[in-house]
Amino acid sequence: MVQPSDSLPGAETTEYHRLRREAEKKIRKLQSRANRGLWALALFIAASIGAYRNFAFLPSLPENIQSLLGESPPTELINAALIVYTFSAIILILSRMTLGSGQAGAMAHVGYLTGFYVFYFFANVLEDNFWAVFAAGVTVLALANYHLWTYCNEALRQERESLAILERREKFFGGQPSAESSDPQNG
Amino acid sequence: MFKSICAKAIVPVALTVTGFVVVCCLLLYTTIKTDLTNDAVKHSSALADTIVKSTRYAMLRSDWDTIGNIIQNIGEQKGVEHVRIFNKKGLVMFSEDPSEVDHFVDKKSAGCASCHAGPVPSATLKDMQKARHFVNERQVKVLAITAPIYNEPACFSAACHFHSPEQKLLGTLDIGLDQAPLTKTLSVMGGRMLVFSFMVLVLTVGGVAALLRKNVFQPIRTLTDFTEKAAGGNLTHCFPEIGGELERLAHHSRQLLHQRDHAMTRLQELEEEPDPVPKAKRG
Repeated sequence: MVQPSDSLPGAETTEYHRLRREAEKKIRKLQSRANRGLWALALFIAASIGAYRNFAFLPSLPENIQSLLGESPPTELINAALIVYTFSAIILILSRMTLGSGQAGAMAHVGYLTGFYVFYFFANVLEDNFWAVFAAGVTVLALANYHLWTYCNEALRQERESLAILERREKFFGGQPSAESSDPQNG
Repeated sequence: MFKSICAKAIVPVALTVTGFVVVCCLLLYTTIKTDLTNDAVKHSSALADTIVKSTRYAMLRSDWDTIGNIIQNIGEQKGVEHVRIFNKKGLVMFSEDPSEVDHFVDKKSAGCASCHAGPVPSATLKDMQKARHFVNERQVKVLAITAPIYNEPACFSAACHFHSPEQKLLGTLDIGLDQAPLTKTLSVMGGRMLVFSFMVLVLTVGGVAALLRKNVFQPIRTLTDFTEKAAGGNLTHCFPEIGGELERLAHHSRQLLHQRDHAMTRLQELEEEPDPVPKAKRG
Protein backbone atom coordinates (compact mmCIF):
# COMPACT_ATOMS: atom_id res chain seq x y z
CA MET A 1 0.00 0.00 0.00
CA VAL A 2 1.32 3.46 -0.88
CA GLN A 3 1.69 5.88 2.06
CA PRO A 4 2.63 9.48 1.27
CA SER A 5 4.60 11.26 3.96
CA ASP A 6 3.35 14.38 5.77
CA SER A 7 6.44 16.55 5.29
CA LEU A 8 6.92 19.91 3.51
CA PRO A 9 4.82 20.49 0.33
CA GLY A 10 7.85 20.45 -2.01
CA ALA A 11 9.17 17.27 -0.50
CA GLU A 12 5.70 15.80 -0.56
CA THR A 13 5.39 16.44 -4.30
CA THR A 14 8.71 14.71 -4.86
CA GLU A 15 7.60 11.88 -2.61
CA TYR A 16 4.33 11.72 -4.52
CA HIS A 17 6.12 11.37 -7.84
CA ARG A 18 8.39 8.68 -6.43
CA LEU A 19 5.49 6.72 -5.03
CA ARG A 20 3.54 7.18 -8.22
CA ARG A 21 6.47 5.85 -10.27
CA GLU A 22 6.80 2.87 -7.94
CA ALA A 23 3.09 2.11 -8.18
CA GLU A 24 3.14 2.39 -11.98
CA LYS A 25 6.19 0.13 -12.12
CA LYS A 26 4.42 -2.45 -9.95
CA ILE A 27 1.34 -2.23 -12.17
CA ARG A 28 3.43 -2.83 -15.30
CA LYS A 29 5.17 -5.77 -13.63
CA LEU A 30 1.87 -7.30 -12.59
CA GLN A 31 0.41 -6.85 -16.06
CA SER A 32 3.38 -8.56 -17.67
CA ARG A 33 3.28 -11.31 -15.04
CA ALA A 34 -0.38 -12.00 -15.71
CA ASN A 35 0.50 -12.74 -19.34
CA ARG A 36 3.49 -14.94 -18.52
CA GLY A 37 1.26 -17.98 -18.15
CA LEU A 38 0.21 -17.67 -21.78
CA TRP A 39 3.83 -18.13 -22.88
CA ALA A 40 3.97 -21.38 -20.95
CA LEU A 41 0.75 -22.53 -22.61
CA ALA A 42 2.12 -21.62 -26.05
CA LEU A 43 5.34 -23.55 -25.36
CA PHE A 44 3.33 -26.56 -24.25
CA ILE A 45 1.19 -26.48 -27.38
CA ALA A 46 4.36 -26.29 -29.51
CA ALA A 47 5.79 -29.32 -27.69
CA SER A 48 2.46 -31.12 -28.14
CA ILE A 49 2.50 -30.48 -31.88
CA GLY A 50 5.96 -32.02 -32.03
CA ALA A 51 4.80 -34.99 -29.97
CA TYR A 52 1.68 -35.43 -32.12
CA ARG A 53 4.01 -35.88 -35.09
CA ASN A 54 6.03 -38.37 -33.04
CA PHE A 55 8.98 -35.94 -33.06
CA ALA A 56 9.61 -36.90 -36.69
CA PHE A 57 11.37 -33.58 -37.34
CA LEU A 58 14.10 -34.45 -34.84
CA PRO A 59 17.05 -36.61 -35.90
CA SER A 60 17.11 -40.09 -34.37
CA LEU A 61 19.52 -40.69 -31.50
CA PRO A 62 22.83 -42.40 -32.35
CA GLU A 63 22.96 -46.07 -31.37
CA ASN A 64 25.66 -45.58 -28.74
CA ILE A 65 23.50 -43.01 -26.93
CA GLN A 66 20.47 -45.29 -27.26
CA SER A 67 22.40 -48.16 -25.71
CA LEU A 68 23.69 -45.79 -23.01
CA LEU A 69 20.11 -44.80 -22.13
CA GLY A 70 19.12 -48.46 -21.97
CA GLU A 71 15.59 -49.87 -21.96
CA SER A 72 12.69 -47.47 -21.49
CA PRO A 73 10.63 -47.89 -18.31
CA PRO A 74 7.45 -49.98 -18.57
CA THR A 75 4.38 -48.12 -19.84
CA GLU A 76 2.43 -48.87 -16.66
CA LEU A 77 5.09 -47.11 -14.60
CA ILE A 78 4.99 -44.03 -16.85
CA ASN A 79 1.17 -44.01 -16.62
CA ALA A 80 1.33 -44.20 -12.81
CA ALA A 81 3.90 -41.39 -12.76
CA LEU A 82 1.65 -39.24 -14.96
CA ILE A 83 -1.32 -39.72 -12.64
CA VAL A 84 0.76 -38.97 -9.54
CA TYR A 85 2.26 -35.89 -11.22
CA THR A 86 -1.14 -34.54 -12.34
CA PHE A 87 -2.62 -35.09 -8.88
CA SER A 88 0.36 -33.47 -7.12
CA ALA A 89 0.47 -30.51 -9.50
CA ILE A 90 -3.24 -29.82 -9.02
CA ILE A 91 -2.92 -30.05 -5.22
CA LEU A 92 0.07 -27.72 -5.29
CA ILE A 93 -1.70 -25.08 -7.37
CA LEU A 94 -4.87 -25.31 -5.26
CA SER A 95 -2.83 -24.90 -2.07
CA ARG A 96 -1.14 -21.82 -3.55
CA MET A 97 -4.56 -20.41 -4.40
CA THR A 98 -5.73 -21.06 -0.85
CA LEU A 99 -2.65 -19.43 0.69
CA GLY A 100 -2.78 -16.48 -1.70
CA SER A 101 0.75 -17.12 -2.98
CA GLY A 102 1.72 -15.46 -6.26
CA GLN A 103 3.86 -18.37 -7.43
CA ALA A 104 2.67 -20.22 -10.51
CA GLY A 105 5.62 -22.29 -11.77
CA ALA A 106 3.99 -22.76 -15.18
CA MET A 107 7.31 -23.13 -17.02
CA ALA A 108 8.37 -25.97 -14.73
CA HIS A 109 5.17 -27.83 -15.61
CA VAL A 110 5.93 -27.41 -19.32
CA GLY A 111 9.27 -29.09 -18.67
CA TYR A 112 7.71 -32.00 -16.77
CA LEU A 113 5.03 -32.56 -19.39
CA THR A 114 7.57 -32.52 -22.22
CA GLY A 115 9.49 -35.11 -20.22
CA PHE A 116 6.44 -37.35 -20.24
CA TYR A 117 6.15 -36.98 -24.00
CA VAL A 118 9.82 -38.05 -24.27
CA PHE A 119 9.34 -41.07 -21.99
CA TYR A 120 6.34 -42.28 -23.98
CA PHE A 121 8.26 -41.65 -27.21
CA PHE A 122 11.15 -43.87 -26.12
CA ALA A 123 8.67 -46.53 -24.95
CA ASN A 124 7.11 -46.45 -28.47
CA VAL A 125 3.64 -45.76 -27.07
CA LEU A 126 3.44 -42.01 -27.65
CA GLU A 127 0.61 -42.30 -30.17
CA ASP A 128 -1.59 -44.17 -27.68
CA ASN A 129 -0.88 -41.91 -24.70
CA PHE A 130 -0.54 -38.51 -26.37
CA TRP A 131 -4.03 -37.31 -25.44
CA ALA A 132 -3.59 -38.30 -21.79
CA VAL A 133 -0.47 -36.11 -21.49
CA PHE A 134 -2.16 -33.33 -23.45
CA ALA A 135 -5.22 -33.39 -21.17
CA ALA A 136 -2.98 -33.37 -18.09
CA GLY A 137 -1.04 -30.42 -19.49
CA VAL A 138 -4.13 -28.41 -20.36
CA THR A 139 -5.60 -29.03 -16.90
CA VAL A 140 -2.47 -28.12 -14.95
CA LEU A 141 -1.55 -25.08 -17.08
CA ALA A 142 -5.13 -23.78 -17.23
CA LEU A 143 -5.37 -23.99 -13.44
CA ALA A 144 -1.96 -22.35 -13.00
CA ASN A 145 -2.90 -19.58 -15.43
CA TYR A 146 -6.24 -19.01 -13.71
CA HIS A 147 -4.50 -18.75 -10.34
CA LEU A 148 -1.90 -16.33 -11.69
CA TRP A 149 -4.54 -14.26 -13.46
CA THR A 150 -6.76 -13.89 -10.39
CA TYR A 151 -3.76 -13.13 -8.16
CA CYS A 152 -2.42 -10.48 -10.54
CA ASN A 153 -5.86 -8.95 -11.05
CA GLU A 154 -6.37 -8.64 -7.29
CA ALA A 155 -2.90 -7.12 -6.84
CA LEU A 156 -3.53 -4.74 -9.78
CA ARG A 157 -6.83 -3.65 -8.26
CA GLN A 158 -5.09 -2.87 -4.95
CA GLU A 159 -2.26 -0.95 -6.67
CA ARG A 160 -4.71 1.06 -8.76
CA GLU A 161 -6.72 1.89 -5.66
CA SER A 162 -3.55 3.03 -3.92
CA LEU A 163 -2.64 5.13 -6.94
CA ALA A 164 -6.10 6.69 -6.99
CA ILE A 165 -5.82 7.53 -3.26
CA LEU A 166 -2.40 9.03 -3.90
CA GLU A 167 -3.71 11.17 -6.74
CA ARG A 168 -6.66 12.37 -4.65
CA ARG A 169 -4.34 13.39 -1.81
CA GLU A 170 -2.02 15.16 -4.22
CA LYS A 171 -4.92 17.04 -5.76
CA PHE A 172 -6.19 18.00 -2.33
CA PHE A 173 -2.89 18.97 -0.70
CA GLY A 174 -0.52 19.94 -3.46
CA GLY A 175 -0.43 22.58 -6.32
CA GLN A 176 -3.04 25.02 -4.89
CA PRO A 177 -2.23 27.54 -2.10
CA SER A 178 -5.95 28.04 -1.22
CA ALA A 179 -6.37 24.30 -0.92
CA GLU A 180 -3.33 24.21 1.33
CA SER A 181 -4.60 26.97 3.69
CA SER A 182 -7.93 25.24 4.07
CA ASP A 183 -6.16 22.01 4.94
CA PRO A 184 -7.41 21.07 8.38
CA GLN A 185 -4.00 19.66 9.24
CA ASN A 186 -2.36 23.07 8.72
CA GLY A 187 -5.02 24.84 10.83
CA MET B 1 -17.60 -12.69 -14.75
CA PHE B 2 -14.47 -14.55 -13.60
CA LYS B 3 -13.94 -12.11 -10.71
CA SER B 4 -17.16 -12.98 -8.85
CA ILE B 5 -17.15 -15.25 -5.78
CA CYS B 6 -19.18 -17.77 -7.75
CA ALA B 7 -16.58 -18.01 -10.51
CA LYS B 8 -13.67 -18.16 -8.04
CA ALA B 9 -15.31 -21.09 -6.27
CA ILE B 10 -16.63 -23.05 -9.27
CA VAL B 11 -13.96 -22.60 -11.96
CA PRO B 12 -11.03 -24.23 -10.11
CA VAL B 13 -13.21 -27.12 -8.96
CA ALA B 14 -14.61 -27.68 -12.47
CA LEU B 15 -11.15 -27.49 -14.07
CA THR B 16 -9.57 -29.82 -11.50
CA VAL B 17 -12.24 -32.51 -11.50
CA THR B 18 -12.80 -32.44 -15.26
CA GLY B 19 -9.10 -32.55 -16.09
CA PHE B 20 -8.24 -35.31 -13.64
CA VAL B 21 -11.19 -37.50 -14.64
CA VAL B 22 -10.34 -37.06 -18.33
CA VAL B 23 -6.66 -37.95 -17.79
CA CYS B 24 -7.51 -41.05 -15.74
CA CYS B 25 -10.13 -42.20 -18.25
CA LEU B 26 -7.73 -41.78 -21.18
CA LEU B 27 -5.00 -43.74 -19.42
CA LEU B 28 -7.47 -46.44 -18.38
CA TYR B 29 -8.76 -46.75 -21.96
CA THR B 30 -5.21 -47.02 -23.31
CA THR B 31 -4.28 -49.67 -20.73
CA ILE B 32 -7.39 -51.75 -21.46
CA LYS B 33 -6.81 -51.37 -25.22
CA THR B 34 -3.22 -52.61 -24.83
CA ASP B 35 -4.37 -55.55 -22.71
CA LEU B 36 -7.12 -56.51 -25.18
CA THR B 37 -4.73 -56.23 -28.12
CA ASN B 38 -2.11 -58.36 -26.37
CA ASP B 39 -4.79 -60.96 -25.58
CA ALA B 40 -5.87 -60.93 -29.24
CA VAL B 41 -2.25 -61.51 -30.30
CA LYS B 42 -1.84 -64.39 -27.83
CA HIS B 43 -5.11 -65.94 -28.98
CA SER B 44 -4.12 -65.57 -32.62
CA SER B 45 -0.67 -67.06 -31.93
CA ALA B 46 -2.33 -70.05 -30.25
CA LEU B 47 -4.61 -70.41 -33.29
CA ALA B 48 -1.61 -70.30 -35.65
CA ASP B 49 0.21 -72.96 -33.59
CA THR B 50 -2.94 -75.12 -33.70
CA ILE B 51 -3.04 -74.85 -37.50
CA VAL B 52 0.64 -75.81 -37.73
CA LYS B 53 0.01 -78.86 -35.55
CA SER B 54 -3.11 -79.72 -37.58
CA THR B 55 -1.10 -79.86 -40.80
CA ARG B 56 1.87 -81.73 -39.26
CA TYR B 57 0.67 -85.25 -40.00
CA ALA B 58 -0.30 -84.39 -43.58
CA MET B 59 3.13 -82.79 -44.09
CA LEU B 60 4.93 -85.86 -42.75
CA ARG B 61 2.95 -87.98 -45.21
CA SER B 62 3.61 -85.33 -47.94
CA ASP B 63 -0.16 -85.16 -48.52
CA TRP B 64 -0.38 -81.81 -50.37
CA ASP B 65 -4.10 -82.21 -51.14
CA THR B 66 -5.02 -82.53 -47.48
CA ILE B 67 -2.84 -79.57 -46.51
CA GLY B 68 -4.36 -77.50 -49.30
CA ASN B 69 -7.84 -78.51 -48.17
CA ILE B 70 -7.11 -77.59 -44.54
CA ILE B 71 -5.79 -74.20 -45.56
CA GLN B 72 -8.76 -73.63 -47.88
CA ASN B 73 -11.27 -74.48 -45.10
CA ILE B 74 -9.54 -72.21 -42.61
CA GLY B 75 -9.47 -69.40 -45.16
CA GLU B 76 -13.23 -69.67 -45.63
CA GLN B 77 -13.86 -69.07 -41.90
CA LYS B 78 -15.46 -65.77 -40.98
CA GLY B 79 -12.85 -63.37 -39.63
CA VAL B 80 -9.88 -64.96 -41.46
CA GLU B 81 -8.56 -62.48 -44.01
CA HIS B 82 -5.67 -64.57 -45.32
CA VAL B 83 -3.84 -67.80 -44.50
CA ARG B 84 -0.83 -69.23 -46.31
CA ILE B 85 2.20 -71.40 -45.81
CA PHE B 86 5.44 -70.57 -47.49
CA ASN B 87 8.76 -72.41 -47.43
CA LYS B 88 12.03 -71.10 -46.06
CA LYS B 89 12.82 -69.40 -49.35
CA GLY B 90 9.61 -67.42 -49.20
CA LEU B 91 7.77 -69.33 -51.93
CA VAL B 92 4.03 -69.64 -51.15
CA MET B 93 3.22 -73.36 -51.11
CA PHE B 94 -0.37 -73.23 -49.84
CA SER B 95 -2.85 -70.34 -49.67
CA GLU B 96 -6.58 -69.76 -49.44
CA ASP B 97 -6.04 -67.51 -52.50
CA PRO B 98 -4.92 -69.82 -55.37
CA SER B 99 -3.35 -66.88 -57.23
CA GLU B 100 -0.68 -66.53 -54.52
CA VAL B 101 0.60 -70.11 -54.84
CA ASP B 102 4.07 -70.48 -56.37
CA HIS B 103 4.84 -66.78 -55.85
CA PHE B 104 7.51 -65.34 -53.57
CA VAL B 105 6.74 -63.28 -50.45
CA ASP B 106 8.36 -59.86 -50.10
CA LYS B 107 10.94 -60.18 -47.27
CA LYS B 108 10.83 -56.44 -46.66
CA SER B 109 7.10 -56.49 -45.86
CA ALA B 110 5.92 -55.77 -42.29
CA GLY B 111 5.70 -59.38 -41.14
CA CYS B 112 9.02 -60.49 -42.57
CA ALA B 113 11.28 -57.53 -41.78
CA SER B 114 11.64 -58.32 -38.05
CA CYS B 115 13.29 -61.69 -38.83
CA HIS B 116 15.08 -60.67 -42.02
CA ALA B 117 16.37 -57.23 -40.95
CA GLY B 118 19.94 -58.48 -40.37
CA PRO B 119 22.22 -60.57 -42.60
CA VAL B 120 21.23 -63.73 -40.67
CA PRO B 121 17.49 -64.21 -40.18
CA SER B 122 16.24 -64.72 -36.62
CA ALA B 123 15.18 -68.25 -35.84
CA THR B 124 12.87 -67.52 -32.90
CA LEU B 125 10.40 -64.74 -32.14
CA LYS B 126 8.30 -63.90 -29.09
CA ASP B 127 4.51 -63.76 -29.44
CA MET B 128 4.30 -59.98 -29.70
CA GLN B 129 7.03 -59.84 -32.28
CA LYS B 130 5.20 -62.34 -34.48
CA ALA B 131 2.22 -60.01 -34.72
CA ARG B 132 1.77 -57.14 -37.12
CA HIS B 133 -1.11 -54.72 -37.61
CA PHE B 134 -2.01 -53.24 -40.98
CA VAL B 135 -4.91 -52.34 -43.28
CA ASN B 136 -5.20 -54.69 -46.27
CA GLU B 137 -6.33 -53.85 -49.80
CA ARG B 138 -9.96 -54.39 -48.78
CA GLN B 139 -9.54 -51.60 -46.18
CA VAL B 140 -9.90 -54.16 -43.39
CA LYS B 141 -7.81 -53.80 -40.21
CA VAL B 142 -5.85 -57.03 -39.92
CA LEU B 143 -3.83 -58.64 -37.14
CA ALA B 144 -1.42 -61.00 -38.86
CA ILE B 145 0.50 -63.72 -37.05
CA THR B 146 3.58 -65.45 -38.36
CA ALA B 147 4.13 -68.93 -36.94
CA PRO B 148 7.40 -70.65 -37.90
CA ILE B 149 7.38 -74.33 -38.83
CA TYR B 150 10.49 -75.75 -37.20
CA ASN B 151 12.43 -78.72 -38.35
CA GLU B 152 11.89 -81.84 -36.17
CA PRO B 153 13.54 -85.26 -36.11
CA ALA B 154 10.46 -86.79 -37.74
CA CYS B 155 10.75 -84.24 -40.53
CA PHE B 156 14.34 -84.96 -41.55
CA SER B 157 13.96 -88.74 -41.24
CA ALA B 158 10.62 -89.23 -43.07
CA ALA B 159 10.57 -91.61 -45.99
CA CYS B 160 8.87 -89.30 -48.59
CA HIS B 161 11.43 -86.55 -48.62
CA PHE B 162 13.68 -85.31 -45.91
CA HIS B 163 15.22 -82.02 -44.85
CA SER B 164 18.77 -81.54 -43.73
CA PRO B 165 19.11 -81.80 -39.88
CA GLU B 166 21.02 -78.47 -39.89
CA GLN B 167 17.98 -76.69 -41.34
CA LYS B 168 16.20 -75.01 -38.40
CA LEU B 169 13.23 -73.56 -40.24
CA LEU B 170 11.18 -75.43 -42.84
CA GLY B 171 8.64 -72.74 -43.56
CA THR B 172 6.21 -70.22 -42.09
CA LEU B 173 2.47 -70.07 -41.55
CA ASP B 174 1.06 -66.58 -42.04
CA ILE B 175 -2.52 -65.96 -40.89
CA GLY B 176 -4.38 -62.64 -40.88
CA LEU B 177 -7.47 -62.07 -38.73
CA ASP B 178 -10.05 -59.33 -39.04
CA GLN B 179 -9.81 -56.86 -36.15
CA ALA B 180 -13.37 -55.54 -36.53
CA PRO B 181 -14.70 -57.35 -33.40
CA LEU B 182 -11.82 -55.97 -31.31
CA THR B 183 -12.30 -52.49 -32.75
CA LYS B 184 -16.02 -52.69 -32.00
CA THR B 185 -15.36 -53.85 -28.43
CA LEU B 186 -12.92 -51.00 -27.88
CA SER B 187 -15.37 -48.52 -29.36
CA VAL B 188 -18.19 -49.73 -27.08
CA MET B 189 -15.88 -49.62 -24.08
CA GLY B 190 -14.76 -46.11 -25.00
CA GLY B 191 -18.37 -44.99 -25.31
CA ARG B 192 -19.25 -46.43 -21.90
CA MET B 193 -16.27 -44.72 -20.28
CA LEU B 194 -17.28 -41.45 -21.91
CA VAL B 195 -20.82 -41.71 -20.56
CA PHE B 196 -19.53 -42.66 -17.11
CA SER B 197 -17.07 -39.74 -17.05
CA PHE B 198 -19.79 -37.35 -18.16
CA MET B 199 -22.11 -38.54 -15.40
CA VAL B 200 -19.34 -38.27 -12.79
CA LEU B 201 -18.53 -34.71 -13.93
CA VAL B 202 -22.16 -33.62 -13.97
CA LEU B 203 -22.72 -35.03 -10.49
CA THR B 204 -19.52 -33.66 -9.01
CA VAL B 205 -19.29 -30.23 -10.60
CA GLY B 206 -23.04 -29.76 -10.94
CA GLY B 207 -23.71 -30.96 -7.40
CA VAL B 208 -21.03 -28.75 -5.88
CA ALA B 209 -22.19 -25.76 -7.95
CA ALA B 210 -25.85 -26.29 -7.04
CA LEU B 211 -25.15 -26.68 -3.32
CA LEU B 212 -22.82 -23.68 -3.24
CA ARG B 213 -25.40 -21.61 -5.12
CA LYS B 214 -28.20 -22.55 -2.73
CA ASN B 215 -26.27 -22.26 0.53
CA VAL B 216 -23.73 -19.53 -0.16
CA PHE B 217 -24.09 -17.47 -3.31
CA GLN B 218 -27.82 -16.81 -3.23
CA PRO B 219 -27.84 -15.72 0.45
CA ILE B 220 -24.78 -13.51 -0.21
CA ARG B 221 -26.45 -11.94 -3.23
CA THR B 222 -29.68 -11.40 -1.30
CA LEU B 223 -27.80 -9.77 1.55
CA THR B 224 -25.71 -7.67 -0.83
CA ASP B 225 -28.84 -6.44 -2.66
CA PHE B 226 -30.55 -5.57 0.59
CA THR B 227 -27.58 -3.66 2.06
CA GLU B 228 -27.08 -1.85 -1.24
CA LYS B 229 -30.68 -0.64 -1.21
CA ALA B 230 -30.56 0.14 2.48
CA ALA B 231 -27.35 2.15 2.04
CA GLY B 232 -29.21 4.16 -0.56
CA GLY B 233 -31.95 4.90 1.98
CA ASN B 234 -34.52 2.36 0.86
CA LEU B 235 -35.65 0.36 3.87
CA THR B 236 -39.17 -0.32 2.79
CA HIS B 237 -38.66 -3.90 1.62
CA CYS B 238 -38.35 -6.81 4.06
CA PHE B 239 -35.09 -7.96 5.54
CA PRO B 240 -34.11 -11.26 3.85
CA GLU B 241 -34.41 -14.54 5.75
CA ILE B 242 -30.98 -16.12 5.69
CA GLY B 243 -29.82 -19.23 7.53
CA GLY B 244 -26.44 -20.52 8.71
CA GLU B 245 -23.37 -18.42 9.44
CA LEU B 246 -24.61 -15.67 7.16
CA GLU B 247 -27.43 -15.09 9.61
CA ARG B 248 -24.95 -13.45 12.02
CA LEU B 249 -23.79 -11.17 9.23
CA ALA B 250 -27.41 -10.37 8.38
CA HIS B 251 -28.17 -9.69 12.05
CA HIS B 252 -25.23 -7.29 12.44
CA SER B 253 -26.09 -5.52 9.16
CA ARG B 254 -29.62 -5.10 10.44
CA GLN B 255 -28.36 -3.68 13.73
CA LEU B 256 -26.07 -1.20 11.94
CA LEU B 257 -28.88 -0.04 9.70
CA HIS B 258 -31.24 0.42 12.65
CA GLN B 259 -28.59 2.41 14.53
CA ARG B 260 -28.01 4.55 11.47
CA ASP B 261 -31.74 5.18 11.00
CA HIS B 262 -32.13 6.04 14.68
CA ALA B 263 -29.19 8.45 14.50
CA MET B 264 -30.55 10.10 11.36
CA THR B 265 -34.02 10.42 12.88
CA ARG B 266 -32.58 11.97 16.05
CA LEU B 267 -30.50 14.39 13.98
CA GLN B 268 -33.57 15.47 12.01
CA GLU B 269 -35.50 16.01 15.24
CA LEU B 270 -32.68 18.12 16.66
CA GLU B 271 -32.57 20.21 13.51
CA GLU B 272 -36.34 20.80 13.61
CA GLU B 273 -36.38 21.80 17.28
CA PRO B 274 -36.53 25.56 17.92
CA ASP B 275 -33.31 27.12 19.20
CA PRO B 276 -33.62 27.17 23.07
CA VAL B 277 -31.11 30.13 23.43
CA PRO B 278 -32.30 33.39 21.67
CA LYS B 279 -29.76 35.17 19.44
CA ALA B 280 -29.68 38.34 21.53
CA LYS B 281 -28.68 36.48 24.63
CA ARG B 282 -25.85 34.59 22.87
CA GLY B 283 -22.45 36.13 23.21
